Amino acid sequence: MKIKIYISLVLFITLFVSCSKDFLEKSPEYSVNTENFYQTEADAIAAINGAYQPLQWPKLYNLRLWTPDIMAGNSIVGAGGGSDGQETQDQANFVTTTDNQGVLDLWRGPWPGILRCNIILQKVPGMAISESIKNRVLGEAYFLRAQYYFILVRFFGDVPLVLMPVEPGDDLRPFRTSKSEVYDQIISDFTKAIELLPARESYSGSDLGRASKGSAEGMLAKVHLTLGNWQLVVEHCNEAATLGYALNPSYASNFDPSNKNTVESLFEVQYASNGGYDFWSNENQASWLSTFTGPRGSDLAAGGWGWNQPTQEFIDSYEAGDQRKDVTVFYEGGPQFDGKDYQKSYSMTNYNLRKFIVSKSVSPSYDNSPMNFPVLRYADVLLMKAEALNELGRTSEAETPLNDVRSRAGLTAVSGLSKDAFREKVLHERRIELAFEGQRWFDLVRVNSGAYGIDFLHSIGKTNMSQKHLLFPIPQKERDANPNLTQNSGY
Amino acid sequence: MSKKHSSNLIRYFALFLFLFIASGTIMAQKISVTGKVTDASNGLPLFGVSIGITGTSSGTISDVAGQFTIQAPSKVSVLVFTSVGYTPQQIVVGENTQLNITMVPEMTQLEQIVVVGYGTQRKKDLTGSIALVSTREIKSLALPSVGDALQGRAAGVQVISSGTPGTDATIRIRGVGTINNNNPLLVIDGVPVSSGLNTLNMNDVESMQVLKDASATAIYGSRGANGVVIITTKRGKADQSHLAFNYFFGMQKATHVVDMLNAGEFAALHNEIMANAGQPQNPAYADPASLGEGTDWLGEMFDPAPMQNFSLSYSGGNEKTNVYVSGNYLTQDGVVTNTGYKKLTLQFNSDTKIFDKLKFGNSLTLNNDNKTSGNYSIRNAMLALPTQPLYQENGIYSGPIQQPMWDGDIVNPIGLANTVDNSTLGYNLIGSLYGEYEIIKNLKIKSTLGLQANFWNSRTWAPDYHWNSSINENSYLYERYNKNLTWLWDNMITYEKAIDKHNIALMAGMSAQENESHYLNGSKISFASNLTQQMDNGTLQPTLGGSTYSWSLLSYIGRANYNYNGKYLATATVRYDGSSRFGEGNKWGLFPSGSLAWRISEEEFMKSLTFLNSMKVRAGYGVTGNQEIGDYSFASALQTIRYNFNNSIVNAVVPQMMPNPNVQWEEQRQANIGFDASMFKSRIEVTVDAYIKNTDNMLVPMSVPVSTGYSDVYVPYINAGEMENKGIEFTIDSRNLVGDFTWNTSFNFSYNHNVVKSLNDTVPMTSGSIGLNYNLALIQAGHPVNEFYGFIIDGIFQTQSEVDNHAVQVPGNDPYSRTSAGDIKFRDLNNDGIINDLDRAFTGNPNPSFIFALNNSFAYKGFDLSVFLQGVAGNKIFNANRLYTEAMSVAQNQTTATLDRWTGEGTSNSMPRAVFNDPNKNTRPSDRYVEDGSYLRIKNLTLGYTLPTEWIKKAHFSSVRVYASGLNIHTFTKYTGFDPEVGTSGIDNNVYPVTATYSFGINLGF
Repeated sequence: MKIKIYISLVLFITLFVSCSKDFLEKSPEYSVNTENFYQTEADAIAAINGAYQPLQWPKLYNLRLWTPDIMAGNSIVGAGGGSDGQETQDQANFVTTTDNQGVLDLWRGPWPGILRCNIILQKVPGMAISESIKNRVLGEAYFLRAQYYFILVRFFGDVPLVLMPVEPGDDLRPFRTSKSEVYDQIISDFTKAIELLPARESYSGSDLGRASKGSAEGMLAKVHLTLGNWQLVVEHCNEAATLGYALNPSYASNFDPSNKNTVESLFEVQYASNGGYDFWSNENQASWLSTFTGPRGSDLAAGGWGWNQPTQEFIDSYEAGDQRKDVTVFYEGGPQFDGKDYQKSYSMTNYNLRKFIVSKSVSPSYDNSPMNFPVLRYADVLLMKAEALNELGRTSEAETPLNDVRSRAGLTAVSGLSKDAFREKVLHERRIELAFEGQRWFDLVRVNSGAYGIDFLHSIGKTNMSQKHLLFPIPQKERDANPNLTQNSGY
Repeated sequence: MSKKHSSNLIRYFALFLFLFIASGTIMAQKISVTGKVTDASNGLPLFGVSIGITGTSSGTISDVAGQFTIQAPSKVSVLVFTSVGYTPQQIVVGENTQLNITMVPEMTQLEQIVVVGYGTQRKKDLTGSIALVSTREIKSLALPSVGDALQGRAAGVQVISSGTPGTDATIRIRGVGTINNNNPLLVIDGVPVSSGLNTLNMNDVESMQVLKDASATAIYGSRGANGVVIITTKRGKADQSHLAFNYFFGMQKATHVVDMLNAGEFAALHNEIMANAGQPQNPAYADPASLGEGTDWLGEMFDPAPMQNFSLSYSGGNEKTNVYVSGNYLTQDGVVTNTGYKKLTLQFNSDTKIFDKLKFGNSLTLNNDNKTSGNYSIRNAMLALPTQPLYQENGIYSGPIQQPMWDGDIVNPIGLANTVDNSTLGYNLIGSLYGEYEIIKNLKIKSTLGLQANFWNSRTWAPDYHWNSSINENSYLYERYNKNLTWLWDNMITYEKAIDKHNIALMAGMSAQENESHYLNGSKISFASNLTQQMDNGTLQPTLGGSTYSWSLLSYIGRANYNYNGKYLATATVRYDGSSRFGEGNKWGLFPSGSLAWRISEEEFMKSLTFLNSMKVRAGYGVTGNQEIGDYSFASALQTIRYNFNNSIVNAVVPQMMPNPNVQWEEQRQANIGFDASMFKSRIEVTVDAYIKNTDNMLVPMSVPVSTGYSDVYVPYINAGEMENKGIEFTIDSRNLVGDFTWNTSFNFSYNHNVVKSLNDTVPMTSGSIGLNYNLALIQAGHPVNEFYGFIIDGIFQTQSEVDNHAVQVPGNDPYSRTSAGDIKFRDLNNDGIINDLDRAFTGNPNPSFIFALNNSFAYKGFDLSVFLQGVAGNKIFNANRLYTEAMSVAQNQTTATLDRWTGEGTSNSMPRAVFNDPNKNTRPSDRYVEDGSYLRIKNLTLGYTLPTEWIKKAHFSSVRVYASGLNIHTFTKYTGFDPEVGTSGIDNNVYPVTATYSFGINLGF
């Protein structure tokens, strides 16, 4: 009897303690952790690839960085007859409020990119990898961080300047840093990127499209253009020119998905037709442009949601004989697309955007367009240089870069203009050359401290436009999470 | 499961029934004994008393009137009468063919056995707050799910049913205890499970207990904070054989459908929308009156839908072995097009005594269900234009034709509902096997092995279509295979001892549980035909995904019960839990509890109060935890994604979630005092409880500013703040009339007050995001959780000068794009002359203060009637559908409430003007959309008739009952949406409405 009790109890106690110590050790098997990553060259490259990736998002270049052309009066929302696009309609009507989805997206897009750069700048310097890869990766990180801050500072003015990764327990609610300090950091980052990055020609194959020395030179020129540092604009444009860039012979070559990262391209956001990622997700690799801007109710392109319909005023601003018109917009009687005619009934304005439309033979479904989005083209560099030289009083010298761009468009050379007339001309040239590439809005708000933009927008009937609209409001959702963020005036 | 499959099943049931009845009628003639069973304490007829014959497997149960008929083999046969809570009786048949049996209560309900965590206790010995749900009342009703059955049946338990067929009801015990997961732990036959209540067949449920206070739930430690629902399924009984068949047929319909504008009314509205913004009007709407009614999209979306439920069970046993086996088939169509639910459940329970001191047993639930969730958007059916026909002239579904400014951009909601398939096919298993050995007298060890396995495949199929301007270029198929396995191993040792008047019961044990889940998914587009819907038929863009997750929990458990002479009672429990969900140094948590009770009625000085059967006061305190924070919240993980360069896809590794390695248990401390009384020979029973529960170190999703760069959607849990719930619960059961005509009443009522005490942070947390860029609710110290937050409306601007004199709302020089007469005036709460986000305030509490239910049941000569009312009060609903259906800003249909819109000075002070794009943001979240969510429902009305035994005995039935029943017959509410039961957040955002069901059913016993 006793023995039976003992056996039972011993057995039972064995059950109690039979669980091994690592029974409670579980870690995610679908991800790597920060302790065992950042070891090899491949790790560093995978990390920097991730820092590019937010650029692709609809929060940035897939949607919100091209819709400012609608605010700038080049086009109307189009599709926004339903609730679809209403936030863009509000921006374009200058009744933007602090809950505007487009504004929120622009706020949310850059920060994950900044964090990814900050982690790389923290971890990669200590990694035992080849100097050339280390320098390239760090250069890309400086370039991208500056790029993200440049987006933020132009839309929001003062923004928090976060240069280190944060953790719980750190101060997660930074105050806004003054615009000038943010610009100082941007200039410093682009300058470091110029030092560290290789030239464009050293990239080939699946590295083509990475930020290069020329990308950083061109972007730094644009930063100085925004700040009105004309001499520095000219210097950095000249530096970029020495790195082997040139205009493509044809304007249309810049919007050809079979010919990416051309000799004219200083930097573009990469898209690929390799489907398999949800179109609406952050992992999506396809461009939204063709789908969103394809004429509604037509079968010209897969999707065809009719966004971004050019206005009559924009169409009328083309000079006669400008070859860029047929590439940029659809109009009734214009050249066929894929053997099909365009009808004006596809649009509320009679016009649709053509520049980014991809043939169904390239993209059979709405979620598959591989067209890259141009961030900086050499044509832009030439026009920046022309504008800066003119502002420096070297107007006749400025004619050459301007006329380089005009002559490719089939237009006659300009000469002998006054400084003011030349400025108008070059701004108009920027409007046409860079139409729908998200540049016009920044030109409107930078020239003459924004007075140029306010006047222009009033002249085309956008009478709600006022000083406060030169900046977007800080999104209320973000101010709810971080009350240290002050609001821009007027909102 | 196909239609064909289900009709076959019906045929098999019918055949089975026929054979059974036929075989019965040709048996040899025996002695027929009839009689009536009554309760000795009050003379009431007793329903459900089991009547068996020793040495045989035959048996019956008494009907609602206490009547029974049984065929005895001979005059020496012994009839055995048993019923839970009554002393069993044995009667020799002899010459009596008419028997009147009175059953003596085993000291009434107080002897009732209550299942507590890892054991059982007599009700009178309970020291904690545990609600017993009487399944006796529920089992005569037509209810498709266990969740519905629980609603209103226990004080302090709020059940929010879901209208979607096959979706589990949401259960909240004693309010919302945390910002985090609030679902109670579900324990089925001793095994904590993650499967929903729908896994079970309602007919298999023997008892439901809800553990409410910490002294009851602390035995479940880290999973007890939200309360515990314990469900025990039926088991066979020795010497009783019983076969039961239950069937009901029901028709469901939407309780209340919102009225939308017809085509003419909409066209007139749309013309106004465009005119007020200086936009061109739609030429097709030139003469609105000529357009007539148009398409009723909501009417097309909702259809009355049938439901059928078949259950067959048998049970039996002898002194060594008992079994219970049942099968159930439920087929339910949804009231919304192309939704439905089909479920097949098998239950097999048995217990065997191998020899005197060794017992083995098992419980096994097998379940196959198929949920068709369709592709419905109730909101889009509201918003679709009545001017658009359902079909084009060629018979294909229609779509918007002209520019969306005029025709909108909603894809034909009926077309989508009918052609897109979303379904989930599930296979679920919950099983357990136990062995129990009595080492010496009163010292037992028990080991239980449990297994829960869930396999479910979800599938989405969308055909290609070309419905005017709505185009889907490519057909699409997505499938996902999921597998979830949990094993459990419990080992318990128990010892009981009585020394004089001291009664001691001790229990100690350990429990190990581990879970692993996997999924694999894939999709393709462009299928050869819309009839070939298999993965192999797709041609383009193949995708593949998958991952795995796991957790484990190791626990040590102890409990001691002591009572002195049944008068002074004490219970202490402790649980030490280790969880893989927490990081190094934070894995283990200790959860103790203690409670005391005093049965005052046992004291000498109370004996003079003869009307009092029992009176007890209770007090308890305990600590429980919450670990529902996802599997790897503590781990600092990097996610792999993609980028591409020059058309080549490359790998990318990025941080996704801000890690929090220091995350710890959430702790809930709950104090409870209670009072139970039973009076007038147990005809009136009262229970009152009061509690305070404080959640400390509340696990909350961190509010991460986007400027950190980390996701503000995938956020870590942090231990922040403190929340308090306090409340009172009151239950009374009364047998008002006894005798031929019986009338019983049960009433329960609970009050709960929720407040967030602190967040360890001055910044409130936002909640209630519905895709807008304002959060609809805040979590802020000093306020109830998830209280609505927004602008405060103050009527309508009647003139432009009123606009000019008010604080600036939306300024502008463009008369078409700024605040104008007819727009809503918002209060300038901070008097700074500008209406902005600083002018928002709290607008309503979504948490009900009161929940209550009242059941009255009547019986007279075979007829039974039960009327069940249930309701909540004191809560608000944010009717988010109205953000869209009263926006009057784009080409979308609107409710008839907009017929009263402002059209000029003095026309309305509540419904604003119609204007394209809504420049004033009349639709910004405000108290305009906050409505009273209180309701009182006629939840269930059932009238049944039990056929007299002499009519049915030839067919060998022991009982036959037919009934008609109505569920959610009528709701008294001020709420203007479909139905006030919108979910715990109180936000009605495209919610599938709860439906009314009218059923006929039959219960057969053999």
